[in-house]
Amino acid sequence: MYSFTKPKPKPLVREDTKLWLVFIGVSLILYISFAIFLQIKSILYNKDIKNYNKEIVTLNKKIENIKNEKEFIYKQKTLYEDIMVKNSLMKDSIKNLLDLIPDPITLSSIYFDKNKLIIYGITPTQDIYNMLMLPPLESIFTETKTYFYQLPNGWYKFKSENYLKEKQ
Amino acid sequence: MKLPKISLKIPKIKIYGIDVIKNFLFFTLFIILTLLVIAFIISPAIHKFKSSKALYYQKKYDFEVTTKIYKQKLTELKKLKNANRKILNAMKRKFDANNFKSFVSKYMSISSIKEVNSTVYQKDFLKTTYIMKAKIKSPKNFYDLIDSLKNYKAVLRIYFPIDFIKKEENIDLTLKLEHYMLNPKKAK
Repeated sequence: MYSFTKPKPKPLVREDTKLWLVFIGVSLILYISFAIFLQIKSILYNKDIKNYNKEIVTLNKKIENIKNEKEFIYKQKTLYEDIMVKNSLMKDSIKNLLDLIPDPITLSSIYFDKNKLIIYGITPTQDIYNMLMLPPLESIFTETKTYFYQLPNGWYKFKSENYLKEKQ
Repeated sequence: MKLPKISLKIPKIKIYGIDVIKNFLFFTLFIILTLLVIAFIISPAIHKFKSSKALYYQKKYDFEVTTKIYKQKLTELKKLKNANRKILNAMKRKFDANNFKSFVSKYMSISSIKEVNSTVYQKDFLKTTYIMKAKIKSPKNFYDLIDSLKNYKAVLRIYFPIDFIKKEENIDLTLKLEHYMLNPKKAK
């Protein structure tokens, strides 16, 4: 058979179909790229969140250490001030006790202990001791004992033992 | 009776040479694909992104607040340390008998300082006890000694027993001296 027209090549996919396929393909690529972009941003955010969490934990530990350090400084301060106060109280109590000694009486030795005071001294008479020194000692201590020894010149050497009974 | 002939072939309707049916089907396909991608890929991604972003800003805020608190606490600590510098240094200081002798030389003449024992005090501190013997002119020297301890570089406490014995012009003084310092283990 013969034809009067020459055969034209017929494409597998027509131009408009090709255009649609390209359009749909490009759209899909754009959609997926956008989704990937969001995923990457989420991953970066999560990474930063992890870093922040680590930093927050570290900072909280440091804050706890600071708190402990402050407490320890206060502990040292309390101890130091307590010692200084006790020294001052010690000074005042000894000063007050020595101020109690009346003029006619001369002391040769004083022994202070936690609950005990022992005094050695000389008094012109037992009465002077009993009138001027014994009452204040008796008002301070719970138990007071005095021993007198007469000296050749008529004066008295005495030993005064004073005790504080601890409250039970 | 003659049955109608059914054809599955899509009819071709062309307007100005454009195949309307085919383009409509492609358009429908495009819409369906778009909706599917939005529903199953983009929407979950946006949701995840939004929640991550919200959590990120929350954590960032928490971090900034914690940093602020930390800086504030650190400043307070520095102030506290500066205010108590003398005490903190004194608590670290070891007791030096020769230095102490020269420090109190204007009040008394120390003849001996002997260490008796050393014990841990309140877990964090070390208490060392010494027996000190000295000569003083009057009890005032003893009071001055106690007052001067406030200015001494180590922490010392005068403790019982305290013994005053009159010897000619002087008074022999014997007392217990307690030195407090940080437990070296704690100090480390």
